[in-house]
Amino acid sequence: MMAQITRRLLISIPVLLGVLLLGFGLLILVPGDPATVLAGPMATPEVIAKIRTDMGLDEPLAVQFGHYLLRMAHGDLGRSLISNKTVVSELLAAIGPTAELMFASLIWSVPVAIGLGTLAAVLRGSLLDRAIMAISVAGVSLPIFFIGLMMIHFVGVKWQLLPFLGRGGPLWTVEGLRHIILPAVSLGMILVGPVARMTRTSVLEVLKLDHVRTARAKGLSETSIILRHGLRNALIPVVTLIGLQAGYLLGGAVVTESIFSYPGIGRLAVGAILSSDFPLAQGTIMILALAFILINMTVDILYALLDPRMQTQ
Amino acid sequence: MTSIDAAAAVDEQAPPAIQPWWSRLMRDPIALFATAVLLAIIICAIAAPLISPHDPFATSRAVMKPPIWNAGGSWDHILGTDGQGRDMLSRLFYGTRLTLIIGVVSVGLGGTFGSFIGLLAAFYPKLEPWVMRLVDVMLSFPAILLGLALVAVLGSGVTPVVIALAIASIPDTARIARSIAVSVMKQEFIEAGRAVGLSDIALFTRYLLRNCISSIMIFMSLRFGQIILIGAALSFLGLGARPPTAELGMMASQGRDFLLFAPHIAVIPSVMIFIIVLATNVLGDALRDVLDPRLRS
Amino acid sequence: MKKILMTTAALALVSAPALAAGEITVVRAIDANNYDPHKSTAQANAEIMFMLGDTLVSLAPDMKTIESGIAKEWEVSDDGLTYTFRLHDNVQFCDGKKLTADDVVYSIERWIDPETNSPVAWRAGEVESVTAIDPFTVEYKLKSPFSELLYQLAQSFGTIIDKDTVEALGPDFGVAGFNGTGPFCWVEWTPRDKMIMDKHEAYTWGAPFHKNTGPASLDRITWQIVPEENTRTVAVMTGQSEVSPYIPVIALKQLESAPGVEVVRSDLAPYTYYIGFKIDKETVSDPVVRRAINLAVDQEAMAEDLFFGEVEPAYSYVTQDALDWNHDLDDTLLKYDPEAAKKMLDEAGWVPGDDGVRAKGGVRLSPLIYTFAESTYGKQVEAVQSYLREIGIDLQIESFDATVVWGKLATQEFDMYTMGYPYVSSGDALNLYFRSENIPTPNRMNWNDEKTDELLDAGAAATDDAERAKNYGEVLKMVHDAAAWLPLYHDPMVIVQSTDLETITPHNLYGAGLYKGLDLKFKE
Repeated sequence: MMAQITRRLLISIPVLLGVLLLGFGLLILVPGDPATVLAGPMATPEVIAKIRTDMGLDEPLAVQFGHYLLRMAHGDLGRSLISNKTVVSELLAAIGPTAELMFASLIWSVPVAIGLGTLAAVLRGSLLDRAIMAISVAGVSLPIFFIGLMMIHFVGVKWQLLPFLGRGGPLWTVEGLRHIILPAVSLGMILVGPVARMTRTSVLEVLKLDHVRTARAKGLSETSIILRHGLRNALIPVVTLIGLQAGYLLGGAVVTESIFSYPGIGRLAVGAILSSDFPLAQGTIMILALAFILINMTVDILYALLDPRMQTQ
Repeated sequence: MTSIDAAAAVDEQAPPAIQPWWSRLMRDPIALFATAVLLAIIICAIAAPLISPHDPFATSRAVMKPPIWNAGGSWDHILGTDGQGRDMLSRLFYGTRLTLIIGVVSVGLGGTFGSFIGLLAAFYPKLEPWVMRLVDVMLSFPAILLGLALVAVLGSGVTPVVIALAIASIPDTARIARSIAVSVMKQEFIEAGRAVGLSDIALFTRYLLRNCISSIMIFMSLRFGQIILIGAALSFLGLGARPPTAELGMMASQGRDFLLFAPHIAVIPSVMIFIIVLATNVLGDALRDVLDPRLRS
Repeated sequence: MKKILMTTAALALVSAPALAAGEITVVRAIDANNYDPHKSTAQANAEIMFMLGDTLVSLAPDMKTIESGIAKEWEVSDDGLTYTFRLHDNVQFCDGKKLTADDVVYSIERWIDPETNSPVAWRAGEVESVTAIDPFTVEYKLKSPFSELLYQLAQSFGTIIDKDTVEALGPDFGVAGFNGTGPFCWVEWTPRDKMIMDKHEAYTWGAPFHKNTGPASLDRITWQIVPEENTRTVAVMTGQSEVSPYIPVIALKQLESAPGVEVVRSDLAPYTYYIGFKIDKETVSDPVVRRAINLAVDQEAMAEDLFFGEVEPAYSYVTQDALDWNHDLDDTLLKYDPEAAKKMLDEAGWVPGDDGVRAKGGVRLSPLIYTFAESTYGKQVEAVQSYLREIGIDLQIESFDATVVWGKLATQEFDMYTMGYPYVSSGDALNLYFRSENIPTPNRMNWNDEKTDELLDAGAAATDDAERAKNYGEVLKMVHDAAAWLPLYHDPMVIVQSTDLETITPHNLYGAGLYKGLDLKFKE
């Protein structure tokens, strides 16, 4: 198992390099001159020239890349062109809210989806099974911004049940909780469909396996069979799927945060790009990519831990 | 989701039985319906300039007119007008057209490139680890991120969105193409071809490509729905098409301003996206059921 | 049991928000590029400056009367060259430091220092010297009279700042911190998200036109950026925001009859939206083209359809009621007549090509317009784009976030740009836009004309009304004849507020509807 995990970590190295290259590419490929943008509307040519030298924009690409790697190694992502704060501090401020949002989305959607999927599998062929499957296909086909807008329109405005503007505070406070519900429900929605479907397929597969048949022969009730034997094994591919969906969820977070004015990484990324704040854009994109890699790695390791076949290897 | 399930399915079952699939598919009433809907949408999109009742870009003084089924609607603007007094129906045709074009072009570009490297990896096993590493790296950048990055570099517009979506389509297709091709490579006619002394190029195009292409294309069509959704999301964030172009995601985004007073401006394009993606996904599911005999019954 | 608990929890969550007393959230559309009074011309900057800082004198809500500020009284010499300000002796900064005449001198000197390179330096007049006579007396000497000086000193650009903070923060001044003497103190700015300010407890020197001269009655104001119009509207409707001066006109009718919200207006200070032409760009350098564009756009339809009759269509660059407007121009203003526009272009040799877009001598009429990525501007520009299409002009739109658009607008990259601007008089407007020294920004038209500069100087220095009006009137005629702009509409100041708050008297200095925020107060 250790070998499995080590291998997984090794695979991440080229991926990390890819992220670094992407980040560097972003900075050198920007149209126009970052120094001019940085200097602002009132800058004299001398000021711009100084910034260019300071940022090393006049040096050959290889040298720039070297500088860039060095800065990365020191955790120096530069400063935001707009706020002049370090990119790292901006990211640190936004990462918590995004993590909270992801957590809040997963915490309700995964259990709900697994429940629905299991229910559908147990009652396969029934009307309920079909209904659940139909809903899950519809769920994956809805544009996420539409879910968000409808949430605001109905829950927020028409029924005035919950706030939809920004973040109310940390998750454990009442205001924090109230504010995160709508974005978390919108974001989690995109996960329900695929996870429910995967659970259903997976539970159906497991139910065909030998030891489940044996258990059934022993006269155990269908419910306890599913809970004891079916679900645990069935969850393995589901966990993988959740990992694969992480990218989609992160992408969804970008949209959701923008709609709900939620101060997370996604909104920061969109804002930075729209305001040509290149260092910040670079930072946010890299942190999102890193998060994605990290989630996938965790999932793979979790997979190794969950899967009994892997353990015996 | 759809594509991943399907990927897994195709993975294990390749090469699928190509011949009878479509006839079996058409026996499924839901799939039939989804096909009909998709076809109708595609026809409307292609014929947009012919069937649009109004110029989709011409503003008028009749702003925010409701659709026909609401009080105050008129036959002149069946789906009402938007905030600039442009005819919603005409914009919907044109918007669908652009959205579909974005989807087709990006899946086409990404899929072609992805399947090419996937097939290469299967054809030259030595290349395999490299290609697969590359694919792993690419998989680590979700499409929305790629889109954001490209827009940061190129500025907003349709082109960066298409490029991002195309790149995002590469890794999945590469994997699928490889797994399909690997099983084709095991078949006798490849051996036979080698024995006869056919060149690599001939073998690759005449045998491998020809035997894999339909399965790959089916898979690519499954990705279509997801790509459309991501493209719409990028447009919605203001990173895609620019005014006065009509694109469904952008139309929905512009409609936000009127949500309270003329919800149809945002709802109609959003529902259109939903219908396109839903039809694609339903069709994809049916296709998968047909191609994966284990899940039938 | 568990179920009941959960239901209770759910009920607790959906019940009315427990907002701390004395806190309000103000939603607005866009952020400023920074919060340094000398380095931004954004209205979003002024809104914050008035609350965080003070100016020597202040302007009453009638938009005419100058009242006390940091200066409790002042004298103007007979020649109009020397202003002597006597300061309140109890003013202090947020960090507790006492304000003296040195701070005033430092602030004015930084404002006009070429090193600062402030786009608003001209607003301080032609300063000869600013000196501290004693700790609470400042002498402000001009090279030539400036009839608008007191009014300009009341603007946010005249905010008195603290030298130590400016030096300590360097480029972070107005970004990471501020330290002013206003009724509120800087807490935190998250660009594109929010600005938080807390009550300045020691504040007691508010101008007499306030019901409350300090300290402020609110403990905290959060300025939240919400770019989506609809979200701003519903935020106020649902009580998530107590005040917004940025409610789209589409929502006003409905909000007027909605419970819990009140709509207040002021027409006292004009605010005009226009599109400016960079007159030396080949697509719009021909005055015929600019005039044709003016004729092609139907401002009346725009005001009615896009802005629901809440705004007044504009054909003049300042309102026709504005001080010193040249009434000789009343009958010459360019109004909607697309056929005349086409004819004019045909005659001038701008003929449509195969794609319907006009061209002449290899120049295709597809000017590029820079605008804000925000829906009010978006609507204007899209409407204009459509009108221009009718006469064979293919307008290219490029929109930028409010944080970068100012930088973009300082370049020579575009042919046209959109802008909305507040002013009190013709002189105020013309001095801002048409002085050659204000190229490239805010004179983005590249209007470089010696005669204009002379007339503006003469207008500013004029000591009698008729002469000032004559000089400014002549400039108005020149710029209207040249069709340097396409005026769109005049916008009133509208604030939508919660009925939990006392009714706000809208201010409109530089478009800052809430001004100092001293009278913002929850009903008892």
